[in-house]
Amino acid sequence: MAHTTAQPAQYDYAIVRNFTIMALVWGVLGMTAGLYIASELAWPFLNYDIPQITFGRLRPVHTTLVIFGFGGSALFATSYYVVQRTCQTRLWGGPLARFTFWGWQLAILLAAVTYMAGYTQAREYAEMTWPIDILIAVVWVAYLVIYVMTMRNRSQPHIYVANWFYIAFILATALLHIFNNLAMPVSLFSLSSYSLQSGVQDAMTQWWYGHNAVGFFLTAAFLGMMYYFVPKQVGRPVYSYRLSIIHFWALIFLYMWVGAHHLHWTALPDWTSTLAATFSILLLMPSWGGMINGIMTLSGAWDKLRTDPIIRFLVVALSFYGMSTFEGPLMSLKSVNALSHYTDWTVGHVHSGALGWVAMISFGSLYHLVPRLWNTRMWSTSLIYLHFWLATIGIVLYISAMWVAGIGQGLLLRAFDDYGNLAYTFIETVQFLHQPYVVRALGGLFFVSGILTMGFNTFMTIRQGRREQAALQAAAA
Amino acid sequence: MKHETIETNAGWLIVLVMIVISIGGLVEIIPLYFINNTVETVKVDGKDTIRPYTPLELRGRDIYMREGCYLCHSQMIRPFRDEDMRYGHYSLAAESQYDHPFQWGSKRTGPDLARVGGKYSNAWHFQHLMNPRSVVPESIMPNFPWLKEPLAYADIKERMRALKAVGVPYSETQAEYDANVKRFGKDVADKLNILKADDNLIAQATQGNYDGKPDDVSEADALIAYLQVLGTMVDFSKFEEGYFAEFR
Amino acid sequence: MSKDKTQKSVQTTGHSWDGDLQEYNNPLPRWWLWAFYATIVFAVVYWFLYPTLPIGRDYTKGIGNEITYTTADGKTVTTHWNTRALFLKEQEEARKRQAVYLEKLAKASYEDIAKDPELSAFVFSRAKVLFADNCAACHQRGGNGVLGEYPNLLDDSWLWGGTFADIQQTITNGRHGNMPAWKGQLSDQQIGDVVEYVLSLSGEPVDADRAARGKTVFMNNCAVCHGQDARGQKFLGSANLTDKIWTIAKVPQANSLDGKRNAVRQVVENGKRRTMPAWKGRLSDTEIKILTYYVHELGGGQ
Ligand code: HEC
Ligand code: HEC
Ligand code: HEC
Ligand code: HEM
Ligand code: HEM
Ligand SMILES: [Ca+2]
Ligand SMILES: [Ca+2]
Ligand SMILES: [Cu+2]
Repeated sequence: MAHTTAQPAQYDYAIVRNFTIMALVWGVLGMTAGLYIASELAWPFLNYDIPQITFGRLRPVHTTLVIFGFGGSALFATSYYVVQRTCQTRLWGGPLARFTFWGWQLAILLAAVTYMAGYTQAREYAEMTWPIDILIAVVWVAYLVIYVMTMRNRSQPHIYVANWFYIAFILATALLHIFNNLAMPVSLFSLSSYSLQSGVQDAMTQWWYGHNAVGFFLTAAFLGMMYYFVPKQVGRPVYSYRLSIIHFWALIFLYMWVGAHHLHWTALPDWTSTLAATFSILLLMPSWGGMINGIMTLSGAWDKLRTDPIIRFLVVALSFYGMSTFEGPLMSLKSVNALSHYTDWTVGHVHSGALGWVAMISFGSLYHLVPRLWNTRMWSTSLIYLHFWLATIGIVLYISAMWVAGIGQGLLLRAFDDYGNLAYTFIETVQFLHQPYVVRALGGLFFVSGILTMGFNTFMTIRQGRREQAALQAAAA
Repeated sequence: MKHETIETNAGWLIVLVMIVISIGGLVEIIPLYFINNTVETVKVDGKDTIRPYTPLELRGRDIYMREGCYLCHSQMIRPFRDEDMRYGHYSLAAESQYDHPFQWGSKRTGPDLARVGGKYSNAWHFQHLMNPRSVVPESIMPNFPWLKEPLAYADIKERMRALKAVGVPYSETQAEYDANVKRFGKDVADKLNILKADDNLIAQATQGNYDGKPDDVSEADALIAYLQVLGTMVDFSKFEEGYFAEFR
Repeated sequence: MSKDKTQKSVQTTGHSWDGDLQEYNNPLPRWWLWAFYATIVFAVVYWFLYPTLPIGRDYTKGIGNEITYTTADGKTVTTHWNTRALFLKEQEEARKRQAVYLEKLAKASYEDIAKDPELSAFVFSRAKVLFADNCAACHQRGGNGVLGEYPNLLDDSWLWGGTFADIQQTITNGRHGNMPAWKGQLSDQQIGDVVEYVLSLSGEPVDADRAARGKTVFMNNCAVCHGQDARGQKFLGSANLTDKIWTIAKVPQANSLDGKRNAVRQVVENGKRRTMPAWKGRLSDTEIKILTYYVHELGGGQ
C-alpha cells in the first residue's frame, strides 16, 4: 500500500482555512447569543423591550448560529480537509467550493438577520424563510457534488470510514432539508410562507427532520470528524474496522425512525410513538459503537492525556457523546419522556450533546487543524489548557443546573397532595427555575470565555504563521 | 455483497445510504395520510366544529410565530391527569388540522396555551402582553409593547390563497363558498370567504375590541383574537368521554 | 482482509490513508454485541404488546395488553392499549380515590362544608392550585387584586354580592362591569362637583359647597346605578361609594386631597369597562363550588 503523503500544496487548504475561521466567528457569536438568552430567562429585563433581541426572536439566532454557523462551518472545514487527505487528491470543483463557502455564510447571516426582523417559518432548526431554504438547498447540492467528485478522484482504492459518515450526513441533510421545508410562499415578493403539511403530519415531518438534524448534522457528521482526528492525534489505528461497519449502517438506518420520540403522548398516533421509542432503544448500542471505537483508539495512549491538551478535548467529547446517547434513549422511553418532555431536562440533554460532544470534538479537531493550515504551532499551549478547563466547568454547570431545573419542574408539575389534588401551581415552577437559570448562565459565561480564548489563540497563531512565512520567504530571497 | 465492494465504490455507497435512510420516514409519515383514525372526526349536528382561522386570527397566528411564542409555550395538552386539571381536555389531532405549520412546541417555559381561549379577558391579555409582570409579578415572559402598532394586512387575501393552495378550505368561488356553508354553517362560511377578507378582518377587530381601542386594528388585536380562539372549537360535553379514545 | 482469529496480536486491515491512518481488525466487543441483541429482543417484544406497525388503513393494536376503564357516567369499555384509554383509566382511579370527598361535596351545602373540617381541608387543597392557575393572573395570588383593574377579593366589599349564591353566579357566568364615561356628557364644572361629592361620602375633607352642588349632579346622573344612597346596587355591580374601599379609583394610592380628586375624576371622566370571564364549561361544577367556597372564605363573605 502506498505510504506517500501528498504535499500540502497539492491540497486546497484555503477553503479549509476560510471555514475554520468562520466556525470560530459563528461559534463566538452563537454562544454569546446563547449566554444572552440564558440571561434573559434569569433576568427578563434584559429583553429591554427591543423586538430584535427579545427571547423569542433571539433563540433561533442562537440555535442557527451554533448548529449551522459553528457546527456547519466546522464540518465543511474538516470534511474538505479529511476528504482531500484520505483520498489523497485535491478538492474537486475549485470555484464551486468557494461558492459553498460564500453561499453558506450568506445563508447563516441572512437567517440571523431575518429572525431578528421577525421572519421565520416557526419550525425548530428550520426557521429560515423559503428563499434562504432554496439558497441552502443549492449550496448543499454543490457540496454533495464536490464531495462525491473528490471521492471519485481518490488515489486510494478504499474510502476511509470518516468519509462514510460525512457522505451519509450530506445525503441525509439534503433529504431532510428539502422535505421538511416544502411550503407555499404568500407571494414571490413575500418572505412569508405556509408549510405544505399541517397538524399531525406536519409535526411528524418536522421531528423526523428535527431529530435527524441532531442525528446526522450533530452526530453522524461529527463521528466522521472523530474518525479522522482521534486516530491522527493519538497516532494509533482505529480500534475496530468491523465495529465501524456495523455501527455505521445501524446508526444511519435507525436514526430515521426515532423522530416521534419528540412527540410522545401528543396527538400523534400511538403506533408511531412505539416505533420511535423502540428504535431509540435500538440506537443505544450503535451509538456507543462510535464511542467505543474512539475511546479504544485512545486507550494505550493514556499517558498523552497529561501532555496533550487536544487529546483531553477528544476524550471529554467522547465521554459526553456516550453520556448523551445514553440519556437520549432513556428519555425516549414513554414513561421517562412523560416527565422530561417540555422541561429543561431536554435542554440539558441538548447541551450535553451540543457542548460536550459537538463543541468539544470540534475544538479538539480545530486545534489539530489550525497549526497545520497555517504551517506553524499553536501560539500558546497554556491557553489551550485554559480553554479546556473553562469549557469543562461550563458544561458541568450547565448540565447539572438543567437536570435540577428539568427534573424539578417535571416533578413539581405532576405532584399531587394527600387529597389527590395538584400540589403546585405553574408559577411556583417558574420561580423555582430562577436559581438553575442563574447557574446555567454562569456555565454559559465559562463556555463563552473558553471559545473567546480559543479565538484569541487562533488569531495569534495565524499571525505567527504569517510572520514565519514572511521570514522564510525573506530568507529565501 | 462484501463491504469491500461498497467501500471501494462511491456509487454503491451513495445508493445504499440513500435506501437505508429513506425507509424510516416512508414508514412513519406516509401512513399518517392513509390510516383512517389519524385525525378524529369532530362533528356536531352533522357540521364540522373545527374551522380554519378567520383573517384576523390568521394574522394573529403569524405574529405568534414571528415573536417566537412557540419557543416558550406548547399547544398540546397531553392525556395526563395533572395536565387535564391544569389546562383542560387533552388536545386532539383534529384541533391542529388547519395549522400550517403545527405549533405544538417542545418546551414549556410558560404554560400550555392549547386551551387559553376564553380563559382571560381581552383587557388582561393586552396588559399581559404589554407588561406581563404588571399582572403576574413572578413572570419571566418578555414585554411586547410594539404589538400596539397598526396591523399590516394588505396581503391578507394572498395569505389566505396560499393557505388554500395547501388545503385550507377558504372559499373564493361560489361553489367553494356553498361547500363551506354545508360543512361549517353559514356564519363560519362567511368568515372564510377570501373575497371579504378585509371587511371581515376589520369587523372582527372593531367588534372584538381586543386592545381596548375599537377604532384601530393593531397587532395586539390580531394576536389576542388568535389567543382567544385557541382550544375553543370543540365542545367536549357533546361527546362521550370514551369517544376520542376510539381513534387511538 | 485478514480475519484470522487464531492470531495472537490483532492485525490491521492492511489499508492505510493519509500516511499513518490505519484500522485494526478487532472483532465486535462481546458485551456490545450481546447488549445490541438484548435491545433487539426488547424492541420485538414491545412491538407485539403495543400498537406498532401501520398496515393499510389500520395498524397493529398489540396483543394481551387490553385496558378496561369506566367513564364518569358509568360506561365500562375494554380497548387495546392506547394513551387515551390509559388516561381514562387514570381518571377513573383518581375518581375512586377522591370519591369519599367528591360524593360528600356534591351533596353538601356551603354551610355543611364549613362544618366538616375534613371536607373543607379537601376543598382548600383543591382550591389552592385552582385559584392560582386560573384566577391569580387577575386577582393576584393572595386575592388582593389590582387597584383599578381587578377587584380585591379579601375585603368585605362586594360589587356583585358576597353571598355564596352571588359568588357562585359571578364565577359561573362571569361579569361585565360598566361605569360610563362622563366626559362630554357633563361639563368640567359638573364633574368637579360630583367628584367632590363622591369624596365627601367617604369622609374626605372636601369643599362643602361644591359637594352640595355635586349632590344634585349625582342624583340626576349617577343615582340610577349607584342608588340614592350611593351604596351601589349588586345587580349592576356598581360600586359602593360610601365605604372607604376603592376598586377602580386609585384613591388609596394618592397622598393628597388633590391626588384623590384626580383619581376619582379619572374614573368619572373615562368610565371603566371590565370583564370577569365566565368559567362554566371550562371548570366543572365541582370546581366552581370549591372556588366559591374558597373565595367566600378569603375575605368577608356574606
Ligand atoms: C421567555 C419565555 C416566554 C415567551 C417568549 C413568551 N412567553 Fe408567554 N409566558 C411565559 C411565562 C413564564 C408565563 C407564565 C407567567 C405569566 O402568566 O406571565 C407566560 C404566560 C403566558 C400566558 C398566560 C397563560 C395562562 O394560562 O396563564 C399567555 C396567554 C402567554 N404567555 C402568551 C404569550 C404570547 C402570545 C407570546 C408571544 C408573543 C408569549 N407568551 C411569549 C413565558 C414566555
Ligand atoms: C381576566 C381576569 C380575571 C380572571 C382570570 C378572574 N377574574 Fe374575577 N374578576 C375580574 C374582574 C375584572 C372583576 C370585576 C368585574 C366588574 O365588576 O367589573 C372580577 C370579579 C370577581 C368577583 C366579584 C367580586 C365582587 O366584588 O363582587 C369574584 C368573586 C371573582 N372575580 C372571582 C374569581 C375567581 C374565583 C376566578 C377564577 C376562577 C376569577 N375571578 C378569575 C377579572 C378576572
Ligand atoms: C350605568 C350605570 C352607572 C352610572 C350611571 C354611573 N356609574 Fe359609577 N360605576 C358603575 C359601575 C358598574 C361601577 C363598577 C365598575 C366595575 O366594577 O367594573 C362604577 C364605579 C364607579 C366608581 C369607582 C368606585 C371605586 O371603588 O373605585 C366611581 C368613583 C363612580 N362609579 C362614580 C360615578 C359617578 C360620579 C357617576 C355619575 C356621574 C356614576 N358613577 C354613574 C356604574 C355606573
Ligand atoms: C455558551 C454556550 C451556550 C449557552 C449559554 C446556551 C444557552 C441556550 C439557551 C438558554 C437555550 C434556550 C433554552 C430554552 O429555551 O429554555 C438554548 C437552546 C439550544 N442550544 Fe444552546 N447554548 C450554548 C451553546 C450551544 C451550542 C454550542 C449548541 C450546538 C452546537 C447549542 C445548541 C442549542 C440547541 C439545539 C438549542 C435548542 C434546544 C431545544 O429546543 O430543546 N447551544 N441554548
Ligand atoms: C441515541 C441517541 C439519542 C437519542 C435516542 C436522543 C433522544 C432524544 C429525546 C428523547 C429527546 C427529547 C424529546 C422531547 O421530549 O421533546 C431529545 C432531544 C434533543 N436531543 Fe437527543 N438523543 C440522542 C442523542 C443526541 C445527541 C448526540 C445530540 C447532540 C447534540 C442530541 C440533541 C438533541 C436536541 C438538540 C434535542 C432537542 C430537540 C428539541 O426539542 O428542540 N441528542 N433527544
Ligand atoms: Ca425553513
Ligand atoms: Ca425545542
Ligand atoms: Cu430526537
